[in-house]
Amino acid sequence: MALGEFLQQLDDLAGDAETAFAAATDADQLEAARVEFLGAKSGRLKSAQKQLGSVDKADKPAAGKRFNEIKQQIDGAFKAAQQRTASGGTAGKATGKFFDSSLPGSPKLKLGHLHPISLTIEELKDIMGRLGFSVADGPEIEDERHNFEALNIPLAHPARDPLENFYLATANKTSPDVLLLRSQTSTVQIRVMEKTPPPIRIISLGRVYRPDTADATHYPMFHQMEGLWVDKKVTMADLKTVLRLFATSYLGCDVHVRFRPSFFPFTEPSVEADMSWGDKWIEFGGAGMVDPNVLSAVGYDPDQVSGFAFGLGIERLCMRRHGITDIREFYRNDVRFLHQF
Amino acid sequence: MIVSWNWLKDFVKLDLNPAEVEQRLMMAGLNHEGTESIGDDLAIDLEVTSNRPDCLGHLGVAREIGVLFQRPLTLPTAQPTAAGPAVDGQIQVRIDCPELCYRYTVRVIRKAKIGPSPDWLASRLRTIGITVINNVVDISNYVMMECGQPLHAFDLATIIGQQIIVRGAAKGEKFEAIDHNTYQLEPGMCVIADGQRAVALGGVMGGAESEVSQATTDLLIEAAEFAPLSIRKTARSLNLHSPSSYRFERTIDPAGVDWASRRCCELILDLAGGELADGVVDVGNEIVALQPVVLRLPQLERILGITVPQDEVRRILTALGNHEESADNDAVQVIPPSWRRDLTREIDLIEEVARIHGYDQIPEDVAVPMWPSNYSDAERVLDKLRRVMTGAGFDEAITASLAPQEWGDRFSPWTERDPIVASMPMKGILADAPNDLGQADKVRTSLLPSLLEARRYNESVGNIGTEMFETAKVYLPREGDLPVEPWTLAIVSSGGFLRVKGVIERLVATLNPTMKLEVQPTKQSLLDHDRSAELRLKGRQFGFLGEIAPQAGKQFGLRTGATVAELRIASLEEIAVLIPQYAPQIPYPTITRDLNLIVDEQLLWSDLASTVKESAGEFLETTEYKETYRREEQDGTGKKRLLFSVIFRSAVGTLTNEEVDQIRDRIVAACREAHGAKLLV
Repeated sequence: MALGEFLQQLDDLAGDAETAFAAATDADQLEAARVEFLGAKSGRLKSAQKQLGSVDKADKPAAGKRFNEIKQQIDGAFKAAQQRTASGGTAGKATGKFFDSSLPGSPKLKLGHLHPISLTIEELKDIMGRLGFSVADGPEIEDERHNFEALNIPLAHPARDPLENFYLATANKTSPDVLLLRSQTSTVQIRVMEKTPPPIRIISLGRVYRPDTADATHYPMFHQMEGLWVDKKVTMADLKTVLRLFATSYLGCDVHVRFRPSFFPFTEPSVEADMSWGDKWIEFGGAGMVDPNVLSAVGYDPDQVSGFAFGLGIERLCMRRHGITDIREFYRNDVRFLHQF
Repeated sequence: MIVSWNWLKDFVKLDLNPAEVEQRLMMAGLNHEGTESIGDDLAIDLEVTSNRPDCLGHLGVAREIGVLFQRPLTLPTAQPTAAGPAVDGQIQVRIDCPELCYRYTVRVIRKAKIGPSPDWLASRLRTIGITVINNVVDISNYVMMECGQPLHAFDLATIIGQQIIVRGAAKGEKFEAIDHNTYQLEPGMCVIADGQRAVALGGVMGGAESEVSQATTDLLIEAAEFAPLSIRKTARSLNLHSPSSYRFERTIDPAGVDWASRRCCELILDLAGGELADGVVDVGNEIVALQPVVLRLPQLERILGITVPQDEVRRILTALGNHEESADNDAVQVIPPSWRRDLTREIDLIEEVARIHGYDQIPEDVAVPMWPSNYSDAERVLDKLRRVMTGAGFDEAITASLAPQEWGDRFSPWTERDPIVASMPMKGILADAPNDLGQADKVRTSLLPSLLEARRYNESVGNIGTEMFETAKVYLPREGDLPVEPWTLAIVSSGGFLRVKGVIERLVATLNPTMKLEVQPTKQSLLDHDRSAELRLKGRQFGFLGEIAPQAGKQFGLRTGATVAELRIASLEEIAVLIPQYAPQIPYPTITRDLNLIVDEQLLWSDLASTVKESAGEFLETTEYKETYRREEQDGTGKKRLLFSVIFRSAVGTLTNEEVDQIRDRIVAACREAHGAKLLV
């Protein structure tokens, strides 16, 4: 047997014995432990002594020396435990050392924190996933077709104003398309519908961009969640029900949903959806039935399929949930802020 | 749009509780923003969506109330009595820019008496926040707020040549508006000119030289229709927004132009006296008749999920001003009213029926069919990644996608192309950043600079030793196509190279325990050249890892050293084993041997470990690196000692010491052969 291995066995034995003696609370338990480790016939120390014989000759002196040390260590631990159980006292009294259980745990476990926006997105994905909505991803740099035209936003619409969007100039001018940072996640709807026949039940989440100057309530980049369900018989009652299921999951209690008429180019009818929170109505986001022009733009027949879409701002939801009063906190990334979530 | 409660009473019977009216309006599309009590009147602030310009006047709001509470609407007659000679001989009108101005009408009143408005009119204007000026100007504002059609009164005496020419502005043309600011005009803006000069900026604001003053007696009343897009561009580019431009931008009722003109003249004759010239000068397009729209009744249920009785559908559509052309059990056909240009399709009528019938009629508890949702591999990888990073103590940051030029100049490892430039910067996002930076108008091609700024900010507020990561897209330009947007992981740590490498190794192992992280030299100006590497997986580029070069640290304003990494998440997706396959546990123990080899200083651990692996054979389970140290006095210069353990296990039985010692000797011999390594005994 190699020396290293033998020494490791001895170390393990000493550790086990000390643990067993320390754990014994009365004389009977201690005796059982004594037999196990110090028993004259088949105690584990005796077995180790037998193995000493199989150690290489050259290593024997070193092995023997260590064996004696370990034997003394185990004997010592047994005597201390004997004293302790006999006096009915604690280990502290026996050793004279006081164990301070009020000391902080060590080493301190450092866990990182996910960003509150990520946590909110995770929760939304989780709830919507249970309602059958899969996550779809799409580009953040978009052409006008996907950001506007297919969404029924004509050239004259104020939303297409140069000052309302981050239009982009690439160094190479070979692309005829005007590009911009997407101003809404609805672009993903179009990309998915262009490629996939109905039924479709998706959410898209991610960054969107509008050129507001950063202040307490605005940031030129923020996050949206957009949901889309298109199938043969999807109605506004389905929309209301899905939003209510969502709100009930999110708020953890039975809530109601109400619709106020609104206007968005890509849905009709369009509504603002509110959910009841306590005795108040709080804004959930915009929603509506997918406009027939949008369905036609992606090659669907609006007389055959219908669908709903809804969208909400993640920052706003997260701020209200956690009482955050300045949207810029999200992007300063002060770790004291991040550690609160 | 602020409406006066007393004013609304002119058009619809309001023996109603204002709160109830506000609530019903809100639930029918006019969001209630607030109500203020002013004298004996209420100023009710309603939000009007851009598709409903008809509600930008009291009449439109009154009509909605009438429909909701089933009350008739009373309209003013707007029949002024003409006493003067025909207007035709007094003024000529010409439109030179039919693309900017669709229609222009003029009436003339002479010998009017300019003075203060009567109290009832002045107080209504004050209630809705409009400054009171004189009776004629007040009346033109009043009529605009009544029906939504902007009007303008000129002092006829200032109009040169008895003519009005509606034309496009010349480049650089100067114009002094009523607000006494002088504006420089551009082509594409619509100017109202007389025989010599511009007297108004069409649809936006009147001119200072032609405004109605105390000395005015003769009036020219303009009622017109201007092109919405041109008005919007003009108002924006001059930053000159008026209640008039606001309404023209949203389109006005073409059939209401003449009504508004007559109504305005009627009130002027009533309140300022004077003599109305006979007739009207009316130039421009004919009013286009609206096309009939068919609503198939089953479509209501198909879209709304509820049935609406046919009677109710017909009542709603008619009350809203639609002219019913035919109706049977299957469909209703109507011609929408001229003020509802937004009603052109069946779906528009469905929305009208729905909002008046009430969205509260739609149930919120129908049975929604189940549907499987798919949890994509990319999502799974990202989830695991986040778990590893937070488990390793890293906080997640989110930083903006636009960055100043300087950041990309300092680190852009994924592309040699210039970044995409945005038409304008993100304003205010670098408020906390050092002021030696340009504006944030480059679409970023790397994440690390933004994360280093987050680190700097944290240092500046006393958060030392931060450990952060971000997962986000970078945006890499491509020839002739949308840019590629690879998901990227950036890490900034206060630990050293090996600490971060350990985290990345753990990340890789979490996704694929057998995958080896490879390194090769790299030269990035951001990184210390010795203590950095390009990371590779399966021989393909994965990313970059290194300690920040001191000079680069200074550029970013960092006070403490940092180690950074930027990695391609797609590489992780490629190697990920998301459904691990079971392998039985071997029931036999391991045997370990420690090795301490003296090797050349330049020898890479990875090379030595490969030799160990190749020479060890099938029983080697793992090679565990312990430490590197140097004993120059014993080993000489240029040498180091590598201490490591080799752990063996056989699948078929317990290995004996003799077997393991043989393997160890073989390993030592191979290391001596390949690397000149010397075993330290």
